[in-house]
Amino acid sequence: MTKIGIPRALLYYQYYPMWKTFFEELGAEVVVSPPTTQVMLSSGASRVVADTCLPVKVFLGHVLCLVGECDFMFIPAIRSVKRKIYNCSKLLGLPDMTKAVIPESPPILDIDIDVNKGRRDLYQAIYQLGRRFTWSPFKVRQASLAAWQAHLNYQQLMSRYGLTPPQAIERISGTPEAEPKTPSGNPTPNLGTIALIGHPYLLYDEHINYRLVHWLEQAHYKVLTPEMLTAEELESATARLVGRARWTYEDDVVGAGEHYLESGVDGVIGIMTFGCGPDSLMMDMVRRRAAKLRATAFMSLTLEEHTAKTGVVTRLEAFLDMISRRKRRQAEVCV
Amino acid sequence: METYLGIDVGSVTTKLAVLDGNDELVTYIYLPTQGKPIEMVQQCLKQIKPQLPEDVNIRGVATTGSARYLAGVIVGADLVKNEITSHAVATLQYVPQVQTIIEIGGQDSKIIIVRDGVVTDFGMNTVCAAGTGSFLDHQALRLNMSIEEFARRALDSNTPVRIAGRCTVFAESDMVHKQQMGHRIEDIIYGLCQALVRNYLNNVGLGKEIKPPIVFQGGVAFNQGIVKALQEELGTEVIVLPHHEVMGAIGAALLVHEGMAGSNNGSQFKGFGVSEVKYHTSSFECKACPNHCEIAQLSVGGQALARWGGRCDLWEGSPTS
Repeated sequence: MTKIGIPRALLYYQYYPMWKTFFEELGAEVVVSPPTTQVMLSSGASRVVADTCLPVKVFLGHVLCLVGECDFMFIPAIRSVKRKIYNCSKLLGLPDMTKAVIPESPPILDIDIDVNKGRRDLYQAIYQLGRRFTWSPFKVRQASLAAWQAHLNYQQLMSRYGLTPPQAIERISGTPEAEPKTPSGNPTPNLGTIALIGHPYLLYDEHINYRLVHWLEQAHYKVLTPEMLTAEELESATARLVGRARWTYEDDVVGAGEHYLESGVDGVIGIMTFGCGPDSLMMDMVRRRAAKLRATAFMSLTLEEHTAKTGVVTRLEAFLDMISRRKRRQAEVCV
Repeated sequence: METYLGIDVGSVTTKLAVLDGNDELVTYIYLPTQGKPIEMVQQCLKQIKPQLPEDVNIRGVATTGSARYLAGVIVGADLVKNEITSHAVATLQYVPQVQTIIEIGGQDSKIIIVRDGVVTDFGMNTVCAAGTGSFLDHQALRLNMSIEEFARRALDSNTPVRIAGRCTVFAESDMVHKQQMGHRIEDIIYGLCQALVRNYLNNVGLGKEIKPPIVFQGGVAFNQGIVKALQEELGTEVIVLPHHEVMGAIGAALLVHEGMAGSNNGSQFKGFGVSEVKYHTSSFECKACPNHCEIAQLSVGGQALARWGGRCDLWEGSPTS
């Protein structure tokens, strides 16, 4: 059976069930790289110039990990999923960049997703990808419909039941994601609610975010993320704050930020990486909004290749202290 | 006498502060960490002991600063608190109406925004240590003068030169360049102070609502040149408290007093005798998963006291056996 490698990085968290269904429907087997490790990050970083952003370095590490494990590497170029809104240049050129810096990679299956070119081009692109497995346009059509259905189910699992992408993927595939679990389960989230905003490849990659979600849960906070909102909620919140979105996946940051700031959570933490252009602009919009509303505590956290987690922990501790001391003060005033 | 001990182990200096039951400062100590946090905590305890009254009764101990977990295990801390909360609590004790706290230490700098007596926002320098105490020390050393003289001479400047403060590497090359062109050293030093203040306000203070009263603390607040540049740039008075360099330790002591008030438990303080204990630190690479985390271990007489540094919980905290 043909093996398709899918790196567990970048857009994996948004589209994995869709991609997996598509390839499996066409009779291929899907291989996913294991969760990020320091070795993967270093190997990815060694292939590119230092200025390349952290998520791309991580992505390349995952690709390297899959070399020798699969017959094809699936790296789509997702240019645009909404009209006139484009993706960041690193994601646009991902297949080409990977080809250039990892020449030993198995052949890369890429597909241009650009809704601006119209339906016809989109279907053509999907057919071109599926044609590698079957000559029957009908079978490709069946596979893509099944894939789309899997995607809708996946999104619904997250927005309706409040699951994170790794949890939803685990639920769908029935196999537990290889993540460290606490033996005693999580403590009761009785101190409040924190919303994390940022791209899924930062929020759910436990290596680069120092197990942020786990840390907050251990501190007795309930954690909400952008995936737990519906596309409509995200879109309308983005429209309220910035009018028209300018980058693909901006809703994860701006829309979720605006939504959660107004929803009465105790705090919002924006996660971004050092050197991400779109994020640095978008997070600033959310910060300004938070400063204007004043009701909800906001902090942005910048992740980089530091190996010690001290800096992140100090900020998180101070942020939670700020929230709890603020609450206590409000309680005193009310009495 | 009922007292509370706050220990702030920063990257460059180690501070101890002892408060009495009324939260008045009894005594404090301020020593360079010299890259040896364990030895310096022991040294500080040894030196502060004779300054305390005979009947001293330590009712609570708290640690803060970047080595707070390490120091906490050594002394038996009742509370381990991050330095942002500690600084805010201490400043609020002395200047209750404070709205902005500027703290510049050896390796990091922070801004804390306070409204109506509670912290509403804070910021810390991100990936770069430009404009912190270490850099000033380094420049003083390069000019072959003490940091005190460096600060004093900044005040003698008439026409400060412009220095790029965005990055310390650029700042240093700018300084060398100006010095080779024959500018007065005083003007270069004060120009550097201005550059660092601008860098601080543009980086750490970015997007923060800086309102008076403004309190400036941390080791760099000793530097009159920086204080002057800060006041000029902000166009308002900046308060420097008498014990500004030990505010983190004072805050930790205040917090442990507050925390112990509600509990009946005694302090876990191991006593001043810990300054005689021989601690041993080592590290190893965990091979349990491909991450190969570096685990640091603190032990006494071959017995492991604490381990940390892993990405998972496998080694974290104190070993139970």
